[in-house]
Amino acid sequence: MRVLLGRLVVLVGALAAWEVGAGVANPLLYVPPSAVVPALVRLLSLQSYPELPESLLLTLREIVLAYALAIVAGLAVGAALGLNRLAGRAFGPIVAALYAVPAVVWYPSLMLFFGLDAASKVAFGFLLGFFPITLAVLAGIRQVNPQLIAVARAFGARPPVVFVKVMIPAMLFTLVGGLRTGLALAVVGVIVGEILGSKAGMGSLINHAYGLFRTPDYVALVCVTLVLIVGIDAIASVVERRAQRWSA
Amino acid sequence: MPPATSARTRARLLQAVSLLALLGAWEGVARAGWVDPLFVPAPSAVAGALGRIARGALAGLADTLLKTAVAYAMSVVGGVALGFVLGSVPVLRQVLHPFVVALYGMPKILVLPWIMLLLGFGTAPAIVYGTIHGLFPILVLVAGGVRDVDRTLISVARAFGATPWQLYWRVVLPAVVPTVLAGMRLGIVFCLLGVLVVEMFAGVRGMGHVLSSLANGFQAPELFAATALVSAASIAIVLALDALNERLSHWRR
Repeated sequence: MRVLLGRLVVLVGALAAWEVGAGVANPLLYVPPSAVVPALVRLLSLQSYPELPESLLLTLREIVLAYALAIVAGLAVGAALGLNRLAGRAFGPIVAALYAVPAVVWYPSLMLFFGLDAASKVAFGFLLGFFPITLAVLAGIRQVNPQLIAVARAFGARPPVVFVKVMIPAMLFTLVGGLRTGLALAVVGVIVGEILGSKAGMGSLINHAYGLFRTPDYVALVCVTLVLIVGIDAIASVVERRAQRWSA
Repeated sequence: MPPATSARTRARLLQAVSLLALLGAWEGVARAGWVDPLFVPAPSAVAGALGRIARGALAGLADTLLKTAVAYAMSVVGGVALGFVLGSVPVLRQVLHPFVVALYGMPKILVLPWIMLLLGFGTAPAIVYGTIHGLFPILVLVAGGVRDVDRTLISVARAFGATPWQLYWRVVLPAVVPTVLAGMRLGIVFCLLGVLVVEMFAGVRGMGHVLSSLANGFQAPELFAATALVSAASIAIVLALDALNERLSHWRR
């Protein structure tokens, strides 16, 4: 109870300090909360940016597509490297080394290759989401009790069946963690891609507002984007809890 | 040959063979004209481009790494200090926890336009943005590490009359060294990422600027060469930190 009160005090205090500080300094630059509320109303009533629904939908579609591709590719590559010991020894370190590269260095190449439209954002979100999923599958396969696999094999299960029916349930806990990280990174990838250069989507609206110095609109757009991200994350956390309860 | 060595040799062999096969196939496909050389240049063309851009790209890389070093120093110092405070004061930790999680989790790119408005173009926004990127993972890890220091160690030290200073310097600090090192390992990639993003978004210098201007100029061979260069540099940095980490953990025992 006291902790909750403390949190409330911090939140209200920060907003109040911001409001006062921005008024004293430069309201256009520091955007006090009182200026954000009307901008948010204008945005949500589709006065400032009538293309808001399409933009939200486009960004959401890019995220979903990037994440779906990352799941498929991450599971496939992770399984291929995890089930074949030689391949795992040879290519596992390469995947881990590539994960250590700040992924944004690939983005200019993707933009050159896929252009300024949605494809380059999907590709970048996919790339960011792919690595944690692959590495989680690799780590998960190592945790699976070898006896389970031996028994399944002895009963005549073929490798793909063993993977889906035995290994995925046995490593679900690790896998779900990787899928969660992969989702967060796919979201970041799409949004970074949109802000670094796009013609449509939330990132392009944000850049437009920023470029024209419409700072209250910019903050309102950021708030809406954050709601989208938090919404996706909330759905993911419900699914995660379900899966982990089932595996426990 | 003992089996362990032969397995490692076979893995190395497979790495080399598949890398050569990939490069060979890529070169063949590009030479045969199955792909547009404007977008997918042959490896030989990329190697040639590396020579042409080496000077400019190395200067850009040096600029980027300098900014990253400043941002990294600030995020390590700030992250460790704040992590110690949050880790040792339970009330503060409980109250601030949701805010730290929210700031850590939110895509920082959303505040980048605002940072540019406040700080203008150039070195300052890159360093600030890089610091924001590196600070939170270090802060969160260190706070967790300090919180989880074995209570018995602390009670024993207190029972033997350790002053608070001795308690931190002799007990808590050595106990959280591995966590701090893990945070530092994570932080460097985030700092470099942050600096590169700013340079791409609105840079006038640095590797991110080099990459984005090569992409805008449709200079694919040069772009691929520069991408390979900066990737190699970041892998080298991470491997060096890992080696240092290994050394330090030996020394701790």
